Amino acid sequence: MIAADVIIVNKLGLHARAASRLVNCASGFAAEIEIVRGTRSVNAKSIMGVLTLAAALGTELVIEVDGPDEQQALEAVVALFQDRFGEDE
Amino acid sequence: MTLALTGHAVARGIAIGHCHLVERNELDIGEYRIGVDEVEREIQRYRNAVEAARRQLEELAGRVIQNVGIGAGEIIQTHVMMLGDSRLQDSTEQHIRRELCNAEWALQMQLEQVLSEFRSLDDAYIRSRGEDVAQVVRLIQNKLNEEAADKPFENMPDRLAETLVISSELTPGELAVLHERGVGGIVTEHGGPHSHTAILASSFGIPAVMGVRRAQALLREGETLVLDGGLGVVYADPDEAIHNHYHQVQRITRRFKKSLEAIRDLPASSLDGQLISLQANAERPAELQLAREQGANGIGLYRTEFLYLQGAPPAEEEQLAEFASAIELLGGIPLTIRTLDLGADKSTDYLDFSQLRRCANPALGLRAVRLCLRDTDLFKTQLRAILRASALGPVRCLIPMLTSVQEIRMVRFLLDEAREELDARSMAYDPDMPIGGMIEVPAAALAITELAPHLDFISVGTNDLLQYTLAADRVDEQVAHLYDPQHPGVVRLLRYIFREANASRIPATVCGEVAGDRQYTRLLLALGLKDFSMHPGRLLEVKQVVRETDIPKAKAALTGWFNTTPTETGSSLLKVIDDSQRSG
Repeated sequence: MIAADVIIVNKLGLHARAASRLVNCASGFAAEIEIVRGTRSVNAKSIMGVLTLAAALGTELVIEVDGPDEQQALEAVVALFQDRFGEDE
Repeated sequence: MTLALTGHAVARGIAIGHCHLVERNELDIGEYRIGVDEVEREIQRYRNAVEAARRQLEELAGRVIQNVGIGAGEIIQTHVMMLGDSRLQDSTEQHIRRELCNAEWALQMQLEQVLSEFRSLDDAYIRSRGEDVAQVVRLIQNKLNEEAADKPFENMPDRLAETLVISSELTPGELAVLHERGVGGIVTEHGGPHSHTAILASSFGIPAVMGVRRAQALLREGETLVLDGGLGVVYADPDEAIHNHYHQVQRITRRFKKSLEAIRDLPASSLDGQLISLQANAERPAELQLAREQGANGIGLYRTEFLYLQGAPPAEEEQLAEFASAIELLGGIPLTIRTLDLGADKSTDYLDFSQLRRCANPALGLRAVRLCLRDTDLFKTQLRAILRASALGPVRCLIPMLTSVQEIRMVRFLLDEAREELDARSMAYDPDMPIGGMIEVPAAALAITELAPHLDFISVGTNDLLQYTLAADRVDEQVAHLYDPQHPGVVRLLRYIFREANASRIPATVCGEVAGDRQYTRLLLALGLKDFSMHPGRLLEVKQVVRETDIPKAKAALTGWFNTTPTETGSSLLKVIDDSQRSG
C-alpha cells in the first residue's frame, strides 16, 4: 500500500462536480483507493462516500492506494487534486 | 381574484403562461418475502432496473452536454454515478440475499441509511445532496415497477413554451426534459436553493420558484400564471394590472440588459471626464467571479461573518485560506477585508451573546469592533490572518462600527501585537497594509476630522448610519417609511463626511445599499463621492448613470437646493439633480 497527503485547493471543495471527477478517475484503476479525513475513510470510487466527506477548501486528506496499479492510481488522483479538479479560475 | 403564492426565489426571470399541474404517482414501497431460489432472479431484476435508469440518464446527460454545456450535463452524470455506487448497489444486493426481501424494499432500507448520514452533515450544500440520492432511488424503484411507475410527462404537451409546470418536486433529469420542451417556468412544492434542480434552473435560465407550499392544491390546470423568479412569487389568475406590469417589465428588462452589455468594457467616467471607482461587496467565489466579470475596480467590502457562522470559531489558517483563494480569484484588484461584524442580528454558539440578548437595545449594544475589543483573542486571530493575506496581494483592513479615536488606538495596538506574533513565527505580511474605519455611528461621522489622522481610509456604511441618524429601523414595517436617504439631515451629514474626509486627504467609499441603487448615484456624485462599493450585480447599472452624469452640474443643483430653505420633501432633491442634467 502507498499513500500521499493532499490539501483541497479548489475553492468549492469536494462539491458534486469535483467529487464526480474524482470518482471517475479512481474508477479507472483496479487498485483500491481510500480517502481518509481524520478518523473517517471512504472509498474513492463511491460518489456518496466522497460527498459525505464534506471536504471544503483547505481540508487535509490522505489518499491510500492498494493494488497492482497503485503507483499510477496515486499519481493520477494526486494530480487531480493539484489541478483543482479542472475547476475554472 | 388574484392569488399570490411565495417560495424560494431560486432562478431569476419572469414567466407568463398557462398552469400545467404534473400528476405524480407516489410509489407505495412495501416489503415482501422471496424464496431462497428467487434471490438470483430478484437481483437480476434489480440490475435490469438500474441499467434501464442508467440508459435513460446517460442519454439525457449526453443531450444536455451537447445543447447546454458540460457543467449542466455533469449534474445529471452525478446521478448516473449514484446509480452504480457500491453503497447503493452492493448493499442492496446484500440486503436482498440476507433478508430474502424484494429489491424495492432492500433499496429503500439502503436509502434511509444513506440519508441519515447526509442529514448529519453541517454543510448545507452537501446535506442537500441527500435529495439527489433519494431521486436516484426513486428512479430505480419506478423502473422496478413499470406498470405503476410515476410518468410525469405522460399527459404533458410536447411544446411547453407558454407553459408553467407545477410539480410536488422535480429531479434535475426531469427539469432537463422540460427545458428541452421549452418550458416557460417552474414551481415546486419541495426543494430549495441548494438543490441541483435549482442550480440547473439557473444555468438553463428557467425562472423558478421552489418550496411553494400546497402549490398543487391551490393552482388550477390551465389558468394563467405570472411567475417572478427573482422575488419568489407566483400569481394565479393575475388581474390586468399585474399582467400588464409584468409584460412591460419583460420588455423593459430585455432592452435594459442590452444597454448594460454595451458599456461592460467602457470606463466609469462621467460626462465631464472624471473617472469614478466602482467596487463590489462580495465574499463568495461566485460573487467575486461576478465582480471581476463586471469590471469591478476592487472589492470594497469583503464580509467575514460567514466564517464565524459554522460552529467553531475559524482558525487563522482557515481564514487565511479563504482570503488567499479570494485574492487569487481577484487577479490583482484590491481586497478590503472587514473584520468580524457580528452582533445583535447574528449570533453563534461559541460567542456568548446572552448578555447581548438581555440588553434592551441590541443595535446600540455590544457588536462589531466593540465585541472584538472585548474578545481580543478572537480578534487577533483574525487580524493575523488578514495581515498574512496582505503578503499575497493588495489587501486593506476595514474596522466596522468605530465610534472613537480610543477604539482605533486599541485596534492599532492589537495589530502591533499581531505583527510581533507573526514576526516571531517568521510569517510575511505587508507592513503598510491600509487600515480603514467604517463610519456608521453618527458621532463618528461628525468627528471625522479627529478620526482621520488615525485612519488610512473610510468606508461609509450608509445602512447603519441612516438607521442611527434617523432613529428608524428599516426592517420594522411600521417605521420603514422614515428611513429616507434624502432626508435633509442625512444629506447634510453625508456632505459633511465627504467634505471633511477630502480636507483630511483620506479616501472615502460608500458601501451601503445606496451605493448600488442607481437612483441615488447622481446625488452621491454631487456630494463628492468618487468611490462606490455595491453588490456586483449592480456595477453596470451604476456605471451607466455615472457615464450619463455631468458632475459639476449636479453639484450646482445640490448647492442650489441647500441654499433654498428645503421646505419641500426630500424626494424633490433627486428630481432637482436629474433636471440639472437636462439643461444645456
